[in-house]
Amino acid sequence: MRLYDIVVVLSPEETPEQVTALVDGFKKILTDDGAQLKIEEIWGRRRLAYPIAKRREGVYYYWQVEAKAETIAELERKLRLSDEVLRHLAVRADEELRRSVKLKKRREAKAAAKPKKAPAEAAAEASEPPAEA
Amino acid sequence: MRKDFKKDKKTGNRKKFFVRRRKACKFCVEKIEYVDWKDVKTLQGFIPERGKILPRRISGVCSLHQRKLQTAIKRARAIALLPYATD
Repeated sequence: MRLYDIVVVLSPEETPEQVTALVDGFKKILTDDGAQLKIEEIWGRRRLAYPIAKRREGVYYYWQVEAKAETIAELERKLRLSDEVLRHLAVRADEELRRSVKLKKRREAKAAAKPKKAPAEAAAEASEPPAEA
Repeated sequence: MRKDFKKDKKTGNRKKFFVRRRKACKFCVEKIEYVDWKDVKTLQGFIPERGKILPRRISGVCSLHQRKLQTAIKRARAIALLPYATD
């Protein structure tokens, strides 16, 4: 199981009912295959940065899911087939997340190692940290 | 010769001696490890009018974060959050 970020851009001409039906269909593909929906964000109607298929707006949906690679492949296939989907993007989120945690830890370790040399200085720094970065 | 040079320094051409402020990497300063491709507001700061990615020689972003920024902008472009090009 891996963590994925998925964004789907739907055509703005769809009625709200059609949109929810479509979205539920996509979510069903995920959940039926044992995927877990972690975050769901409905960004709603947004202006597109450039026209896609003569449309200037799109309805955006964002999900973060924990799923198997095959599940994502299946979802992407469905997304590509449906005409209502203007654009979609599914990328792995776990690798970047782990890396950022690692970097954070390393920085904290560095910060923790510093005060040993000059405790007084570090204390002063701690009281007003981001003033001179 | 020497005297002339000194005079020059005193009177004219201040621009020549203007000390450029060192640019700091925005992401390092704010301690952001993960450059989020969904965060359009932040990314937009690195997109000049033309829609190109701002070079780091101008923005001052460090090479690590520039690389992350690059993929983030490209992802945002793919789903029409950011433009590929504008005129």
